[in-house]
Amino acid sequence: MSNFIKEYIEREKISRRNFLFATAAGVSASALPGVWGAGPAHAGGHGGWALAWSYRDRASAYWNTIVSGGEAYVDSLGMAKSDMVNLINEGSSEKSLSDIKAFLAKNNGKGAIACDANDSPNARPVAETVRDAGGYLSTIWNKTNDLHPWDIGDNYVAHLSWSGEKPSADAARALFDAMGGKGGVVHIGGIPANIPAIERLNGLKNAMKDYPDVELLDVQSADWDTTKAAEVMSSLLTRYGDNIKGVHCANDNMAYGVIEALKAEGITDMPITAFDGNPEAVDLVIQGKLLATVFTNPHWGGGIALGLAHQAAIGAFVPSEEPNAHREFYGPSILVTPSDAAEFKKTYLDATPTYDWTDRWGLSAGQIQYT
Amino acid sequence: MLKNLDIKTFMPAIVLLTLIIFFTALNPNFASMRNFARIAIAASPFLMVAIGVTFIIIMGSIDLSMEGSVSLTAVIFCFALVYFGGSVASTGWIAVPIALLCGALYGALNGFIHARLLIPSFMSSLAMGFVGIGATVLLTGGGIVRINDDIFRSLLTYRIQGFPLMVYLAGFFLCVGIFIQKKTVLGRHLYAIGGAEDLAKASGVPILQTRVLAFALAGFYYALGGMLQVAKLGQAESVTGANLMFLSITAAVVGGVALWGAIGGVINALIGVLIVAVINNGMVVIGLPDFIQDGVLGVLVIIAVILSTNRSSVRFVK
Repeated sequence: MSNFIKEYIEREKISRRNFLFATAAGVSASALPGVWGAGPAHAGGHGGWALAWSYRDRASAYWNTIVSGGEAYVDSLGMAKSDMVNLINEGSSEKSLSDIKAFLAKNNGKGAIACDANDSPNARPVAETVRDAGGYLSTIWNKTNDLHPWDIGDNYVAHLSWSGEKPSADAARALFDAMGGKGGVVHIGGIPANIPAIERLNGLKNAMKDYPDVELLDVQSADWDTTKAAEVMSSLLTRYGDNIKGVHCANDNMAYGVIEALKAEGITDMPITAFDGNPEAVDLVIQGKLLATVFTNPHWGGGIALGLAHQAAIGAFVPSEEPNAHREFYGPSILVTPSDAAEFKKTYLDATPTYDWTDRWGLSAGQIQYT
Repeated sequence: MLKNLDIKTFMPAIVLLTLIIFFTALNPNFASMRNFARIAIAASPFLMVAIGVTFIIIMGSIDLSMEGSVSLTAVIFCFALVYFGGSVASTGWIAVPIALLCGALYGALNGFIHARLLIPSFMSSLAMGFVGIGATVLLTGGGIVRINDDIFRSLLTYRIQGFPLMVYLAGFFLCVGIFIQKKTVLGRHLYAIGGAEDLAKASGVPILQTRVLAFALAGFYYALGGMLQVAKLGQAESVTGANLMFLSITAAVVGGVALWGAIGGVINALIGVLIVAVINNGMVVIGLPDFIQDGVLGVLVIIAVILSTNRSSVRFVK
């Protein structure tokens, strides 16, 4: 049953690249200029708008960090953190939509909402519901490729997502450099059908093009799971033995298992890279047990998603006057390596940085690309 | 139990041997001592859980609480170890009895809810499993608890004859399990209830007491499994017990423990665990692509159950 939970967490990060829909994507870049943008401008404060974050659950560190960003934004308005309403969908798209409807009805449409729609098809009904009620919406992770904020109007302010490919390739390059640019590498992947798993493996393959002497010995799925990763890694040692010179993992949890499987064999100097930038992984980077991990700054993502919806609601900016790159953009990713891990931990984990939420796209990693 | 010494009794062991020969033929590295040690490490925590659930299956009931129980006791063990000084070499050893006691109490509560409130064990134990995972999430806040005790971790890192200490520890508790099954009143009562509960009751077997004790014993073994998971991975979290429900019940059944009760025992659980661990290891060692491994595991499990379960005395399956 717990595999389920893992799969779910990863699955809700997916579907930016639903290949089926890619070619059908509308490209009306000029958009509809402010047809529905009826929000009255208020100066400062929350301007009479109720704020809400709609997401899956509170049992995962990831979502807790997302929500902490939302609370930091609310706090920056001089409101209590508890003034942000938590709409928890428990993995149900129907509940996600009905919660948002109820929230808007209660506030007569004056709601600024950040939302992960739980699955991609649900993003459209959510966006249309918010538009029809006169509220403002930002989404993260899940939406179909043919749905664009500029097609819905000013009420659908922005969509934020994260790419796995480039950061994963950066981690792979660090790995290959640590291997001296040659030798065998194995990839411990997530659930094979998950989009993040596919992207992170693609990143590895892209980076390999620059390193002709690096050989990808094997790709094995460990379902994002620590225990399974340990078992897979020890089996790979039987198959490839000393030919394995480096391990590329698709997330932190699996890297923990890989480290322990190698420790059991007395191997402590194998370069290993991971993904997610969890506090434990950063500690391992500092201790030299992990070569690198990738941090995606969910705190900022959670704050800016709510911030964009609210600032559009109070008229601080007009979404339709912004370029598309400001309405569909990638969140940041930072490669954490031994040379900067201690500094990184001090800045991002021990203390939470204070962000200027009016610097709306300062950390954007560019417009979302559909392949 | 051993009165019909036909080929079926030895089928699980034959299946295991066949698998070892099969994987070795495809990759000779499979049959190396180092690989056997790797399989043994993977199998040790998992064996404890399978022994625990075997006691319940013998009784004709089922226990689905192991994922919650293993996660909860593993996390409690880590917290207690850190709280009491961080090393089993000093006062930290107290974490061991604390975790075992918590496991047994959790199991006893599970058994009490099932037997006293007359809730089918399938439902009560599944629910208790969720309670366990929920409690673990509450304790950890969704995070990971790491331990850095090299003495405790020597269960993984210190080897005798090529095998880590944890393998010998698992072997010891395997013997304890066999002893309980064969030489104690509780062991005999489990078979009596699993064979025919009405007759057992009429013969004076204390049903409620036996059921609660059996679940407590299972909980004790889950806690052992939880601690060996920590020894293996150096950490605990709410998903530490992940996948163990399917794997342990599969292992028991593949090894020849029948879900309808009173057939098989702890040795069958051992062979079943080894069969599943060998399949999991072997599929990677022979280079099977990952996307067909789940399917192959499922097919092999069905074949193993057909070959290794003594179904001749069963008139119906439910």
